[in-house]
Amino acid sequence: MYHCNRILTKMKKIALLLLLLVSMMNVACDKPVSNGDTEIHISYTVNGHDLITDSLCYTNAAGNQFLINEIQWFISNVTLIGEQGDEYALGKIFYIDTNIPESQVLSTASVPCQRYTSMRFTFGLDREDNVTGLFANPPERDMFWPEPLGGGYHYMKLNGKYLDEDGNLAPMNIHLGIGQNEDLTTFYQNYFTVELPLELDLKQDCVNAIQLNMNIDNWFQNPHIYDCQTYGSAIMQNQEAQQLLKENGHDVFSISSIDHNMEKIVSTLKDLMHKAAPKPHFYTKKNMESLFADFFNHNNKE
Amino acid sequence: MKARIVVVLLFGLLLAGCRPTHDDSYQPTPYELPQPLFFPSTNNIPDDNPMTEEGVALGEMLFFGTNLSPLTSHPSPCCASCHHKEHSFEMGPEGTLENLGTTHTMLPLINLAWNTTGLGWESQVATLEDMVYAAYTDPLEINADTSEVVRQLKQSDTYPELFRKAFDTDKITFILVEKAIAQYVRSLVFANSKFDRYLRGEEQLEQDELNGYMLFITENGADCFHCHGGGANALFTTYLRYNNGLDAAIQGEFKAPTLRNIALTAPYMHDGRFTTLDEVIDFYSEGVQYSEHISPLMHHVMQGGVQLTPQEKQQLKAFLNTLTDTSLRGTK
Repeated sequence: MYHCNRILTKMKKIALLLLLLVSMMNVACDKPVSNGDTEIHISYTVNGHDLITDSLCYTNAAGNQFLINEIQWFISNVTLIGEQGDEYALGKIFYIDTNIPESQVLSTASVPCQRYTSMRFTFGLDREDNVTGLFANPPERDMFWPEPLGGGYHYMKLNGKYLDEDGNLAPMNIHLGIGQNEDLTTFYQNYFTVELPLELDLKQDCVNAIQLNMNIDNWFQNPHIYDCQTYGSAIMQNQEAQQLLKENGHDVFSISSIDHNMEKIVSTLKDLMHKAAPKPHFYTKKNMESLFADFFNHNNKE
Repeated sequence: MKARIVVVLLFGLLLAGCRPTHDDSYQPTPYELPQPLFFPSTNNIPDDNPMTEEGVALGEMLFFGTNLSPLTSHPSPCCASCHHKEHSFEMGPEGTLENLGTTHTMLPLINLAWNTTGLGWESQVATLEDMVYAAYTDPLEINADTSEVVRQLKQSDTYPELFRKAFDTDKITFILVEKAIAQYVRSLVFANSKFDRYLRGEEQLEQDELNGYMLFITENGADCFHCHGGGANALFTTYLRYNNGLDAAIQGEFKAPTLRNIALTAPYMHDGRFTTLDEVIDFYSEGVQYSEHISPLMHHVMQGGVQLTPQEKQQLKAFLNTLTDTSLRGTK
């Protein structure tokens, strides 16, 4: 009898232990995936180089020499897409302005730490969001698109100048938004969706940075050549120009994830070299290489 | 001897007891700034100068120099000497550079609570408080000695009590003068024009006025809205600076003034070169001068302007006249 009791007690202990193990395993399985913070760094390239504003040093596909004063634009519905097709919203609407350095880094929502294979966003504002009165305050308010022309807001104001046939610096304004027919009775939504492949292994406890680059050259080409001489500077009431730019917009953007270790190295190098950039800009892998080359040349000389 | 000392001390205490005590519970009444339709929700009211009913009332008295004798031999003893209510707080037709002796004409002192980009034609003054100091001390404006201003206020029969009510202090300083006048200027809200009533669905615009509005907010029309707002920007200015092609020799940029009350604020432009709205419209229609410094938003510069017909000019003017708010104090 005593022996039986001992066996029963032992069995109870084993059962308890098993129960504990199973429950621990369950806890482990239910443990939520941790989230990581993300940032999107905006950059601009023209003619293969980082944008320098107010400088007449660029030529587009139509042969127009041009300069850019400022770019003010919206992206919206920014979404990361995981390997399994699972989607995570990074943010609803972002206003980006080359005159406002802090607007060039978009602080986005925390999303699960995992691998992501693409990012999707709307260039401009979609039909639901693009409503007059959405923004009460500047600078977003000053993007308003007049009600009779469709209302809401400019998707983008790219303001600059080009050298016209007479050698004058004529205004060049790529203002995109809702288009209209001539008698303002029919309206056209000119926003478009961009989805780009991405290799991002999102990690916890660090800021995961994505670089979104606007290649300005491509607004002027592929599939259509956009000639400033033809379209002039006022295109808000020119749906033909709006449509053409919308179709050119498909390959204007590119993205890449930014290597955090490389970031640290480059920032250290930048400090060492006391490089004073004339305008705030974000480095790409391409100019990181040249930065390294500069650094080593500099050290070899010393 | 000891008894005498005790008596003196007691007498001293009694005297101290007779002085008005500082009431810790006193708070000036908060001033509720109106929030008109399509005005921004952010403003430039500083944390250290919240608007109060008492502060605005004091500021109004200082602005108009009520119960104050002229501060200097200069003919502008107070703000209101030059800033006239009936001209949207500008001087009116007399406010030419020749008469003012300044390099720029005036800008209207209305709806400035929502100007967050600096004051003056070149946005050179950061705050309204700083603007008050500049106006008082500028030799071409009030040209006053601020300590003399404070001395006169302290000796006044009325002002010490008004400062006490506004700022809960017995100590009058020029910083408080700046704060009070800035509060008053922030209270000058003008948003009850015919166009406002149209936006609120209270009054219909005439056909010419509506056509003028269409011209105002279209690129193929008069193309005014990028700099002067309209629609979703009811301040009728971005408060930003532009080079509008007024003169090819001008390389700089000047603030786009509000077009509210524009019919009341001649002469026009930073140098007051135009005396009527017709001249201004003619300029934007066919007088814009090309230079490499002109704003890229002056889309039609290569054609010399927006090329309006005489009828369109008349319609645009009709619309601009709907922006006049004749209530002298504004909506408050």
